Formats: sequence, C-alpha cells, structure tokens
Amino acid sequence: MEVPPQKKRPWFWSWSIAAVIFRLVLVYFPSSLNLSSRPEVSTPVTSLRRLAEGYWLKQSSMSPYADFVTALLIRATGQNLQVAYGRSLELLGLSRVSENSEFLPSGDIAALLYLWNPFTIVTCVGSSTSPVENFFIVLSLYGACTRLVPLAAFGWVIASHLSLYPAVIVIPAVLLLGYGPDAPPRKYLLQSNDANFGDNLSSDSSSEHRGLKTPAVKPANFLWRPVVLFLSWASVWALYVVVLCWMSVKEYGGLWEMFKRTYGFIITVQDLSPNIGVLWYFFAEVFDFFRSFFLIVFHMNILVMILPLAIRLNHRPFFLAVVYIAISSMLKSYPSVSDSALYLSLLALFINELADIQFSFFLFCGYVGVSLLSPVMHNLWIWRGTGNANFYFATAMAYACFQIVLVVECVNAMLNHDRMIRKKLSTTKA
Amino acid sequence: MAKREEPPKAKPRLLIRAGILIITHSLLVSVICCTAGVFALLLLPILAKNTYISENALLPGSARSMLSPHEFSDANKFVKEISSSNVEPASTGIETPRLIAQHIADLGGEVSYHKFHPQLNKFHPLHFFSSPDPGIVQVNYSCSSYGINTVGIIRAPRGDGKEAIVLVTPYNSLNITPGEALSLGLAYSVFSLLTRVSWLAKDVIWLAADSRHGEYAPVAAWLRDYHAPTFGGPRKPNAEICGESALYESKANQFMGSKIADHFRRAGTIAAGLVIKVADRSVDITRDTLSIYAEASNGQMPNLDLINTVNYLAVHGQGLLVKVEKFWSFLHSKWLKVFGEIFESVGKVAKSLNPQWVFGISAMEYIEGTATLASSLYNQALGVPTGPHGAFRDYQVDAITMEISPKLYWSHKAKQAEVFLRGGRLVLLFPFKTFMLVEGVLRSINNLLEKFHQSFFLYLLTSPSKFVSVGVYMIAFALLVAPLPVVAASLYSDANKRGPTSVKHKLSSSPISVDEAHITFRSWRWLSAAKTVFIVHLWGAVVTLMPYFICQLPNCTPTTSLLVWVSLSVFGLVVLHLVLGSPSAFVSASQPQEKEWALLKSVTVSAAFVGLCLMSVINFATAEIGALLIVPMCLMALPVRLNTSAHKFRAVARAAFNVVFILVGCPVVAFFMLKGVFEGFKNINVGEFWFWVESLWVWNSATYIFICMVHLPCWVLCIYILLHPC
Repeated sequence: MEVPPQKKRPWFWSWSIAAVIFRLVLVYFPSSLNLSSRPEVSTPVTSLRRLAEGYWLKQSSMSPYADFVTALLIRATGQNLQVAYGRSLELLGLSRVSENSEFLPSGDIAALLYLWNPFTIVTCVGSSTSPVENFFIVLSLYGACTRLVPLAAFGWVIASHLSLYPAVIVIPAVLLLGYGPDAPPRKYLLQSNDANFGDNLSSDSSSEHRGLKTPAVKPANFLWRPVVLFLSWASVWALYVVVLCWMSVKEYGGLWEMFKRTYGFIITVQDLSPNIGVLWYFFAEVFDFFRSFFLIVFHMNILVMILPLAIRLNHRPFFLAVVYIAISSMLKSYPSVSDSALYLSLLALFINELADIQFSFFLFCGYVGVSLLSPVMHNLWIWRGTGNANFYFATAMAYACFQIVLVVECVNAMLNHDRMIRKKLSTTKA
Repeated sequence: MAKREEPPKAKPRLLIRAGILIITHSLLVSVICCTAGVFALLLLPILAKNTYISENALLPGSARSMLSPHEFSDANKFVKEISSSNVEPASTGIETPRLIAQHIADLGGEVSYHKFHPQLNKFHPLHFFSSPDPGIVQVNYSCSSYGINTVGIIRAPRGDGKEAIVLVTPYNSLNITPGEALSLGLAYSVFSLLTRVSWLAKDVIWLAADSRHGEYAPVAAWLRDYHAPTFGGPRKPNAEICGESALYESKANQFMGSKIADHFRRAGTIAAGLVIKVADRSVDITRDTLSIYAEASNGQMPNLDLINTVNYLAVHGQGLLVKVEKFWSFLHSKWLKVFGEIFESVGKVAKSLNPQWVFGISAMEYIEGTATLASSLYNQALGVPTGPHGAFRDYQVDAITMEISPKLYWSHKAKQAEVFLRGGRLVLLFPFKTFMLVEGVLRSINNLLEKFHQSFFLYLLTSPSKFVSVGVYMIAFALLVAPLPVVAASLYSDANKRGPTSVKHKLSSSPISVDEAHITFRSWRWLSAAKTVFIVHLWGAVVTLMPYFICQLPNCTPTTSLLVWVSLSVFGLVVLHLVLGSPSAFVSASQPQEKEWALLKSVTVSAAFVGLCLMSVINFATAEIGALLIVPMCLMALPVRLNTSAHKFRAVARAAFNVVFILVGCPVVAFFMLKGVFEGFKNINVGEFWFWVESLWVWNSATYIFICMVHLPCWVLCIYILLHPC
C-alpha cells in the first residue's frame, strides 16, 4: 500500500487519456486502414461484419448463429472505447488487490501496456468484438480477486458464453476465492511460521513478501463458503443467460440450434478462412474421415494441460489464469491478436516476479517481426498471387512457437522466483 | 535461431553449444558471411539457368500460322487512314477512336468506348497494403481532358466466355506517331484474323488505349472499371456533364447506327495481357529486334512462362533478336571483365579436371549477364512499372510489353513520313514476323487451361533466355544478412554479462526505494535502447509523410523542396532529441551502464534485420541493394571514443571505415554515387534526388517506405552509436 498512488496518478491518467484519444483519432481517420478485414484482427467469431451479417440473417428469419450475443455486442462494440477505458480501471484496481506492494506499479504498467499495445489498438480500431470478451474475462478475474462473488460469476458466465474458451477460468477463479490472491507456496509459510520467522520475513526479507502479510499470520485454509457461493451464483447467471437466449431464439430453431451454431461453430472449426492460428491450415488439409479424431486431439491439447498446471501453480491462481488464457489463445480455433494482447498485459502484472525472464529480447523481436511479417505474407498470397497459403501459415507457426516459448519461459521464471524465495527462507532460518 | 542470450549452467545441449560457438566468433562469422554474400551475388550470372516452358498446355509453335495476304492489305489501308485522319489540324482526338471503332464493327467484333479521366498519382501512404481500391476520389476535370479508349471484343466460338486475353496498343490520339499507327495496324490485322478463326477458346479484347495522359493511365483506368462492376443501369462515367461528349456520341452513332454499345463491355477473367508497341527508331540495322519489358510495381514480375513463350516463339519461330534491358555502362567495365576472365579460367580448369563440370561461361557472356542482371535488379528495386503492363499485375494478371524495332523500315530516318505514307511493299516485310509472333503467343495462351501458375513468379533475368530463380538468389541475400542476428546476440550477451549484476543488487537492498531509476532488471535492460530505436523509427515515419505536405507548397523547385525536406527532418530529429532525449539521458546517467552502446547497437541491428527480411518478402531487389549498404554500416558501427583504448592504427582504420560506410550509407549520397557510377558524374543536379523520390512515391513504391522507415533510421542510429559517449 505504500505505493504513492497520488504521485503516480497524473502520469497514469495522462497516458490513458492519450491512449483513448489516439484510438478516437484512428477510428475517425478515413477508413483507409481497412483493419476490420485483416485476418489477424477479426476472426469469424469476433468480426463486426459477421455480426452484422448474423443480425441480418436473424432479421430475415434465418437461423442466427449469434443471437443474444448479437444484440449485446452490437451495442457494446459501439462503446468499444469506453469499455477499453473501463478495463484499464479494472486492471488498476485489480492490481492493487493482487499485488499489494511493489516497487514497480505493476497495475499501472499492465493497464498502460494493455491500452498502448498495438494489438489492442488495431482490434479496437478494427472494431472487432474481442475487446468485449476480454472485458468480461478481466471482469471475472477482478471479481474473484476482490471477492465480489456475483461479479466474478457474472463475468465468467458471460465470457464463456461469448467465446467458450474462458470457461477454463473457473479453476483459477475457484482457487482465487478459496486461497486468496497470488502468494508464494503455502508450505513455505508453514515452515516459516513454525520457525517463528514469519514476522521478520514479511517485514524485511523481500518486497515480494509483503503481499502475504495476512496469510503469514493465518496460514491459508481453503475457504469453501465463497466457492460454493461462486458456483451457485454462476449457475444463477447461467440459467439467466440461457433463459434469455431461449426467449430470444425460440422462434428461430430453439436453444439447441443456437448451441450448435455458436459453440459448435467454435468447437468443430467449420470456418477455415485463414487466421493467425494453426488450426485452419490443418483442417483444410486433413481428410474428412479423420476430422473428428483430430478435432478431439486438438481440443484435448488444451484440456490436458489444465490439471498439471493447476496442481503446480495452485498457490498463484491469478498467474494460473493468465497461463490458461495464453494457452487457449494459442490453441483456440479462431485466435486473433487481441487474445495475445490480453495475456501480454496480464503478464505485466507479474513484472516483479518475472523480472528475470530469459530471452525477453528475443521474444520481443519475434513478436515484432511476426506481427509485421504476417500482413505482408497475407498480401503476397491474397492480393499479389505470388505467394501461397504456406507463406502465411509459416508466420502463424512462428507466432505459435514464440507464444510457446513465452509461456514456458514465464512459468519457468515464476517457479525460479519461488525457488529463490525458498532459498532466501532457508538462509534466514539458518 | 542462434539467439541464445546466455549459456545454461552445466552441460548445454549440442544446439545451444553450437549457437554459443557461433556467437563467440561473431566477428569471424560476419566477415565470412558478408564476403560470401557479395561473392554469391557476383556468381549469379553463372548460376543462371536456361529458361524452359514449364506449362505443357502452352504448346508454343505447334500450329501453323493462318496468315493470309488479305490481312495485310486491310491493315495497310487501316494504317493509312489512321495516319491521314490525324493530320487534320482540327482533330480533337475523337477521329481516331471513331475510325478504330468503325473498323472493329465492320469486322464483326463488339465495340465500346471507355471514357476515363486520368487519375492524379497521389501519395497514399496508408493505401499501400490495401487491395487495388476502386473507390478513389474523383477530382474535377475539364471536359476536354478525358481520354477515350476503344475496346473491341471477339467472343470465342469455342469458349464459355469466362476467360479473356487482352491486347493493348497504346497510341496518342492527339498526335499519333508512325510507330503507334503501325502497332494499331498490327493489332487490327491480328484482330481481323481472329474474327475468322474457329479455334479461339478465350475471348480476345483489343484495347486501343488513348495515351494522351501517358501510357499507364488509360490501361489502369480501363482495368479498374473492368474489375469494379457497377450495378443499376448503364454506366456513363462523367459523360453527362460534358456537352461535347454528347455531341460526340451522336456523331459516332450517326456513323455506325447502334453498333456501339453505350455501356461498359466485359469479357471473362483476364488470363494474360500483351502490350504491343512499335518503336519509332531502329536499334539494329540487320535484324528486327523485340524488347521485352516485364517489371510491374514493387518488383513483381509476370509468370516466367509468358516471357518464355514470347522468347521461344520470337527466337525459334521468327528469328527475331530478343532483348531485355541492361545497363550499357557495365559492358565497358574493367572490373567485370577481370571477374569474367577469372570465372572463365576457373571454369576451364574445372572442365579439364572433370569434363562433366560445365559451369564456366565466357567473359563476354558474364559481362552481358551481369549488365542485364543489374538492370533487372535496379528496375525491380525501383518498384516503378516499366510500362502499361504494370497495371495488369495489380489484378494478378500476367502481362508484358513487347516493343518491336523494325530493321529497315526506319533506317531512313529523314524520310520516315514519306516511307510511312507510301507504305505498301516495305511494310509488308516487317509486320509479317511480328504478326506471326503475336498470333503464336495468343494461340499459346489460348491453349491454357488454368491461369499461369506453373513457372516462377520470383526471378531475375540475366538474358531473355536465362533466369535466376528465387531459391538461388535468396542464398546471396541470406548470407549477407545472416551476421545481423549473430552480432545482435553476441553484443546482447556481452552487454548482459559485463553489466552490473543487478539481481543480486536488487535482492540485497532491503530498504526498497520507489525510485525506478535504481532498479535495473537484468533481463529488461534493453528496454531503454529499444525506446531510442523506436523513437528514431517513429521519426522515420514522420519523415516519410513529410513530402505529402511539402508538395502542397506553391512554387517550389525540386532543389528547394529537397532542402526543405532535409532541414525539416533534421529539425525534427533535434527536437525529438531535446524533448525525449532528456529522460533517457537521466536513466543512463543513473544507471552505470558502460555497455549501453552495445545494447543500442544490438537493438539497432535487430531492427535492421527485421526490416531487411520484411523488405525481402515485399521486394527482394530493394532488400538486396539495401542490405549491401546497410549491413556493413551496421556491423562496423562502433563508438569513436571507444576506439582510443584500442591499438592506435586499428582504431584509426576502424574509425575511417566507419566514416566511409556511414557516408556511403546515407540514402542521398548512395543515390548520387550509383548515378555517378552508371551515368558519369558530369551532370549531377541536387534536385534529381527529389525527382527520383517523387517518382517513387507517386507510384506507391515500397522502396520509398523502405528508404524512409528502415534505411534512414538505421543510418541515424549508426551515427548515434558512432558519437556515443561510452
């Protein structure tokens, strides 16, 4: 709490207002940028054009593949800027909770990183709907951190409803509610408490430790009450959403049709138009009779990683959530750059823990290179006709590789950080 | 990638060890790679392969020509009529289109006029990557300025009307030259033949393009309208506002009744485009020559099969002398001669050792190949199309310009006009071959089942029948830029190793000060260097946009414009340094980083690497020439003050090299040096650079963006490193 927010605030506010103005300028610029048709920015699930198309389909009483979503998103996308702005506030508040005392104001940095990330800017200007999804994901995490159980449940339900993948956030959310925000492994605390070093440690050993003042006094037990509350709230919200959906789609084929057209569309990878993911190419190549098999394999990829990560990182639920988001944005069926914008800025919340991450410069160059190369390759393939799909897919693969390296290095750095704390503890003990 | 920042602890894996080995010997690696890269570039004419026709469906030269004397007499008459119609002093440029339209209608083809306004070539910095955009703002023109293309279409008896071949003959309707009239006559004769044949499977469109606004504009305008369908009623672009045009319409209809369509006529997808021109001068007295121009915007080339077909038919079918552009000044270069002789003798030695090694070419061939290759590289690097065929490439249509220089027709230059008007016998000799050539090419393209895709799109020509494919020329480039990541990684790991061990520092300092400046994250130290590089690149973007505003200044000579541009850029840089330089100076002062320049150089080199790789995908030739300038400059850049600590002679030599590379690396200096090498240093004018740059940006060339956003920032950063107080 000793971060001087008064000092930081003008600096933060001016930059965030500048970010909003920058977006406004870009939005009202003559539409020569044509971002909304870039495959990197808008995927079949998030494109505003498709949204409009779906709305039109609904009007002409055909089967809508986005119904309640449509109405909600059409309104929300118009207020894209305000949402982005509100999100920065969310991040700021959230960071205060999760990272109590830092020498770097990681919340400010993360929020500004989100606002000034070129990826977010292009998705905002390209009027994709993914900022809304991001908003709900962050809302859910924020709710879980601040223990606003209904809010967390609401964010989770809506985010999962919008893009399905955030459903995995339920595990970190439960852990967050059960154990409280990120802290070093609990057994360290138990050890230090046993040795009566708890007070000393939290006051002088390292800055990172201040966050666990309260847990140091009272070793964390898993609190069942908020978790049960969360689950019941989540079922209430889910029921609410389902009822609303049912009311709005009952004339157009019913709920089942809606699920098939929305979640089914996401899961079965029906749209093979190129994007920055790796699935479109694969499923364009694969034989039809293997299709369902590989669908299962690819989706298992995400699911397989959930449990081991949850066990290993259960003391850092928020970080766990970020890792989940990163993995799902890597392996989801229609990824866009806004997904990576989300996890990149959320990673900045852990800037103090991840200070010693390896290959940071290499990763930075890789991200810059890929994000510049990808539109060029697309141009070469689609407009000039001198390249082919392999050119574009090559950048998608490189992008996936960089993401993998990033996630691996981040988890590695985080675990190293924990080890370092343990070393510190053992030296102070001895 | 060989970018491993630091060696892991105990026993690293083989790959990592190899990476570390390369990084520790970065100097050796970079010297070897750069030399090899330049050497490989010189070797390209030897590595060139003979062209071959890759698409079997083309079947060039498999059919006999269906030529008959009938076409020639008709064509002669047509040429005479056209040239006499143009002599009338009161001609407003509508006589010739009318005449052409009438003749096409008489042959039984569909005719329509296409009226267009020339588009002002304006710099659209943001339109660069977007698709060919039909929705461009029309500027108001006076009615007399529009041009009229005449379009004739033959519907293929054997086709389904889904594909078409375009024949373009540009001519100036206000003042038609004999060559243009002859090219019209040629197209007319081909057209009249094609109305009678039964084998046509693709529609043939003859576009008589009115080139009063330049040859490119009418073709581009027609293609734009062809590919941008308008729905709802016949389209009369801007015709209603001009009373004159209404008059002209009635006049035209009066002649031809209702044969001329009043709407835009289309055929199918365009499979290929042929631009036919007849030169007004003769190049060779003994043989007819055919010059092929193929470069479209941003160094794009048509499919090699198209050039092959034309070349094959011209050389083997008609015995024409086929030429592509080359740098004539190279032919007398002594250096190249020495190289050529060396390669020749090496080839001979190799052949004597093993008769199967046949890779040597004669010195003369080598010089010719290099001259052509250099011209091919230069034209691709400029990114400016070399003719009206460039407009086709924007719609993924393969097209070339065939310029024919007759041998004896124009040999009596003084009597041109008379010879022309007398026509008859002399004319007969010449278009015979060209006619057969055009017929043969059309017939080959007519055989195509799909669009050209079989052969190369990315290649450089070393002669009309030899090419270097992308797989070969990429090696030279890859070798040239390979040192960049290696040097970046080595500098980065160096700087990190010797830098203050900040982690321990951070951990040992228990009372935490909130002052950011004291916190140095070892892994994040490159951030401030990255900030500097980013700011300089941002400045480069501003410099890119400046000419747009400078052009709006009234009464500017090229020299003053250039001076304004340069001074504004320098001013911007100074302001940026004063405004944004101060916080970074504060950070660097508080952070004891003696190796800050190394990080800066590392980031600069990485940025240059990314920029060059990007450019090599967009336009390879630009990237290759840019790499020749940028790579040595970036690799050599070391702070001058650092050198004092080293051995004295080496320090002086290093500084001298630095200064030379940086001087040559300056875009302006490089331009004038190249110009001086190719054309002599005699008549060099400072304003020429402005003209050159202007030509780049009016054609939306990526080279312009490369120069301003990659090359220039790199140059500035190298100077910054050179002057760095380490």
